[in-house]
Amino acid sequence: MSESELGRKWDRCLADAVVKIGTGFGLGIVFSLTFFKRRMWPLAFGSGMGLGMAYSNCQHDFQAPYLLHGKYVKEQEQ
Amino acid sequence: MVARVWSLMRFLIKGSVAGGAVYLVYDQELLGPSDKSQAALQKAGEVVPPAMYQFSQYVCQQTGLQIPQLPAPPKIYFPIRDSWNAGIMMVMSALSVAPSKAREYSKEGWEYVKARTK
Repeated sequence: MSESELGRKWDRCLADAVVKIGTGFGLGIVFSLTFFKRRMWPLAFGSGMGLGMAYSNCQHDFQAPYLLHGKYVKEQEQ
Repeated sequence: MVARVWSLMRFLIKGSVAGGAVYLVYDQELLGPSDKSQAALQKAGEVVPPAMYQFSQYVCQQTGLQIPQLPAPPKIYFPIRDSWNAGIMMVMSALSVAPSKAREYSKEGWEYVKARTK
């Protein structure tokens, strides 16, 4: 794995971690305010779940160096 | 009767807010693969600052307040990768020459002590 590819993977991992932890935290806030009487545990639970998902994605990304990241391109109807 | 209807309404409102948040997360694929999360973060970085600026302009127009222009944040350039790599190379070269340098300095020290005791 070249250094630039490694750098890109680290960037992707960090961005993924930020998004997932933030999303988990946000969902925790919503559920804490709506159903769980402003308790703290939904926030911790959501953030922890986001962190775990990000760690799992990063681990898979670093352990599978031969997978290519592509994107779907829709066929244009003529 | 009214209390029951009101508690049912409250539950429906809370349920719709929570369900809307869950649907938004599912639709934007925020908890999906890392590519989608990275794309969502990039899109947020492009969309949020102009939206905040437009909102502040709208608030200024409606209230007549003038928000002072903040100075631009200083651009700090610190290449972590280069300094880390340089640090690693320095440590490894120091470790590789450490035995010969130690031998040289101890020999010099011994010669010095010998010369002083004569």
